[in-house]
Amino acid sequence: MELIIQTLVNGLLIGGIFIMIAVGFTLAFGVMDIIDFAVGEWVMLGAFAAYWLQTLVHVDPLLFFPVIMLTFGAAAYVFQPVLQSVINIKHRSAALMALAFTFGLSTFFRGAALTLWGFNNRNIVTFLSDQSINILGITLPALRVAATVFAVIITIGFMVFLNKTKTGVAIRAAAENKTIAGLMGIDGQKVARTVYAIYAALTSLAGVFIGSIFSVNPDMGLRYTAFAFFVVVAGGMGSFAGAIAAAILLGLIASFVSVYVGGAYIFLILFLFLYFVLLFFSKGILGKGL
Amino acid sequence: MKNIGSKFLALLISIVIAAILVAGCGGSTKSTAEKRDYFKVGVITSLSGAEAYGGNVTRRGYELWAETVNKKGGIKLGEKSYQVKLIFADDQSDPNAGADAAQRMITSEKVDFILGPYTSGVTMAVAPILEKYKVPMITGSAESPLIWKQKFKYTFGTIPAVDLTGSQPLATLAKEVGSKPASIAILGVNDPFSKATAEAFKAAAEKEGIKVLKYDIVPAGTDFNPLISAIKGLNPDVLAVGGHEKEHMEIIKASKSLGFMPKVFLMHYGITTPDFIKNLGKNSDYVMGATTWTPDLNYKDAVFGSTKKYVEAAKIRYGSMPDYTEAACAATGQIFTAALAKIKAIPPLNEEQREKLVKALEEVKIDSTLYGPIKFATDGAWYHNNTGLKALTIQIMQGNQIIVGPKQVKLKDPVYPVPPMSSR
Amino acid sequence: MFSRYGTLKNAMCGLGLVALLLLPFIIPTFWLRIFTGVSLWVGLALSWNMIGGYMGYISFGHGAFFGVGAYATALVMAHTPIPFGIAILISGTLTYLFARMVGYLTFRLNGTYFAIGTWAFAEMMRQVVLLLPFTGGSYGMRLPPVVNEGFFYYVMLALAVAVLIFSYFIFEKSSFGLKVKSVREEETAAQTLGIDVEKVKNQVFALSGLFPGVIGGAYAYWITYIHPDSVLGPLIADQMVVMVLLGGIGTVFGPVIGASLMYIGNRIIWVTWGDSSSYLVILGLAICFIIRFLPEGLIKLPIRESLRRIGVGARQAIPNEEVR
Repeated sequence: MELIIQTLVNGLLIGGIFIMIAVGFTLAFGVMDIIDFAVGEWVMLGAFAAYWLQTLVHVDPLLFFPVIMLTFGAAAYVFQPVLQSVINIKHRSAALMALAFTFGLSTFFRGAALTLWGFNNRNIVTFLSDQSINILGITLPALRVAATVFAVIITIGFMVFLNKTKTGVAIRAAAENKTIAGLMGIDGQKVARTVYAIYAALTSLAGVFIGSIFSVNPDMGLRYTAFAFFVVVAGGMGSFAGAIAAAILLGLIASFVSVYVGGAYIFLILFLFLYFVLLFFSKGILGKGL
Repeated sequence: MKNIGSKFLALLISIVIAAILVAGCGGSTKSTAEKRDYFKVGVITSLSGAEAYGGNVTRRGYELWAETVNKKGGIKLGEKSYQVKLIFADDQSDPNAGADAAQRMITSEKVDFILGPYTSGVTMAVAPILEKYKVPMITGSAESPLIWKQKFKYTFGTIPAVDLTGSQPLATLAKEVGSKPASIAILGVNDPFSKATAEAFKAAAEKEGIKVLKYDIVPAGTDFNPLISAIKGLNPDVLAVGGHEKEHMEIIKASKSLGFMPKVFLMHYGITTPDFIKNLGKNSDYVMGATTWTPDLNYKDAVFGSTKKYVEAAKIRYGSMPDYTEAACAATGQIFTAALAKIKAIPPLNEEQREKLVKALEEVKIDSTLYGPIKFATDGAWYHNNTGLKALTIQIMQGNQIIVGPKQVKLKDPVYPVPPMSSR
Repeated sequence: MFSRYGTLKNAMCGLGLVALLLLPFIIPTFWLRIFTGVSLWVGLALSWNMIGGYMGYISFGHGAFFGVGAYATALVMAHTPIPFGIAILISGTLTYLFARMVGYLTFRLNGTYFAIGTWAFAEMMRQVVLLLPFTGGSYGMRLPPVVNEGFFYYVMLALAVAVLIFSYFIFEKSSFGLKVKSVREEETAAQTLGIDVEKVKNQVFALSGLFPGVIGGAYAYWITYIHPDSVLGPLIADQMVVMVLLGGIGTVFGPVIGASLMYIGNRIIWVTWGDSSSYLVILGLAICFIIRFLPEGLIKLPIRESLRRIGVGARQAIPNEEVR
């Protein structure tokens, strides 16, 4: 019984980390119509930023997460017009071109990280590392709890932002229908830049947590690209609530399969699940996708 | 039709350009291959791709050997010494690229012999090409037992296969600690080497009468938390893991955060790499592993002087303590030197000389290199593998790898059960 | 006026083919190996182009057909006395049927969903091969080694040319090709014209899965050692897509150019620097630049005009003739 609860908790806590990636990724897809292949590389770069903060500035990267988020947000805000110009190319398969462009970006980031920082595996130590909370025989690793709490706060904050602020409403309008939003006087360009900046900031924060929980190396990104795809597709593309549900489900499946079926089957079952969700619930598990 | 035609033209032009390029490359290599008074040595290893970390460890070993030999004047054969020139090729951790690299080394660069890949997958793709062109290769790294079963005539290996060494720590635990462990959980990552390691652990545990509570092969990149939770519930005395430094790091971190502490962690390979110890600090202490070499050994060595001097040289050159793979690679060149001295062949080597070189490699017996004695098996399941070395059990203590078994050579007693991570 | 152009074209074709056939006698074996690799990737890129270019459905799962073909050939050759030539045909038939099945299931989806569905499917195949008892799992499989550079060059070249000719005649010169293109442009409109859209889509997908299966089999025999990560990894499909985009999607010769340049580029950079993490940097930048500034691919580079200017093209001759 204890094991079942522990497994459930493990699943929920890893799901929390996926939420952090999923929220920004879904929003970027909704507004910019882009599947960003480089999502995992933002995670990787976020993790490296934390590592360098720790190594060069000797501060706890987890305490300085706003610095990392702001830096990435700003960088993305500056870079977004380049991406937008690719999205705007008139081409038969425009969506594919943008996807391939981000594939190029991802290759570039990975190569640059490998060339600049080498192949070593690195570790991030934060004030929460090694800490854990015990409740009735269930162990909650502090870092994962923090990540999940953060994810929840961010999600709620986001809901408020989207519903109560002017920019938020503009973003939702743009995600719904760009043409009409444009006619209503919403500056689509500015909205897209803001969304891309938010997405990069969130993903880099996820990178800080992932780097602290696991380890940091230039090749780590691809795995999270796969997970981000999983979450967004299983949740129904562009669906906020669906993505959150899918993130938690992904965590739970991985956790339960590795305990009760066998570690060897994790990825087989995950992809089988994704494939059948696609075939039979192509609007996502909550049926709210585009 | 016209449209197609002009596209075909464009295509042809690109082929012509490629052909010119090729002719240029081909031509330049031909001219240098005829006569030279140095040894041209090919190095095929993973400098990028999934196995870049290990590949670069092997590169350091090979490189330091060549640099040291050249500083001393080169390989001495009779009266004259010959410099060594290493040609590097990156196999991108991919068998296809590795095979291309082998072909380039042999037919374009015309190397005399080859220092081999880090991964067994690439070794398997390279070996058949060496058979055809009769070029000998020694790999200072690949540990998978799979390679030696194929009985490649031109491929040799310096490190004993993991099924020869992996059982040692469990033998130490079963025979040389106060209270023998009763149970074990085994995890292996699903790559050829790590899986073989996990299998070796399992076989050894069964042989020593330690109960295997869980045996699971998991894909690379999995989250270990659920697995560790499940293992925590089983409460084994030992957690043994076949994997690389990345997985070992993540398992130690996951265990600590979940409050799981077996009486000892047993991990192979990678706990002897500098990254593992540096990243985990105190948490890396008391992890047990198998090895064939530690920096504390003191063997005489013809190139570096001794193991100690080699370790110092490596620390100065690369800023970190070498592990057994790096050391084995540094020793690999010497085997060729010894075999070359035996047949007195001066560069460039022709096919007949290379045939003789393989014969000589089979006969060579070096009593002492920085890595230890070297002698290749000439038959059996470990054909052409250096099976002569004794496997050692090591345990990390205050960030150093200390030999704790077998009894005859141990420097300290094994610590078992180990103090929990929280009270160090 | 046409005949002169045609003659020149035929002469060029013939010359090119002769040059390719003579290649083993003029270039060093290392470069012959590289050209074998080029042919392999040309074949794969052209196969992907059938579904991605002509049909307009992006598949990220074509690596699975390559891998399944490789494993099928390896298994057939390991357990039966069937020779290589027949083994790869068996592989091709198998992947054709397999692609029919995958297509039948996956064509419920379209657009991005289809792309991700095929990707999920391919990843699933890799996990299956890792787990099956008879594929050797993560130990991989070894085939009887035959190292004969010339033989494999001709095999791969023949396969690449076969796919090229097949693409040309089926998709550019037949009524089937017209049907395919009309489905790509507007599915509903094609339907109202009486085209069985579902059938056409499935046929194209199965055809584009047939050739990677054969080529995968040839690859397995060439490299002699296969492993789930080396023949079923996601990079195989990714490379097919990028090669086609680089050269020009939906054209006959675009994939040929894309595959040749990318493969040779990789190998040249790698020969020059030995260490190729810089290759990733250059490749990444190249992809970004080409998509940004040349979205139709390299084939749309204004080569024809430049050629005419320097007096190589045949077009220039035509007006002169008329003047006379």
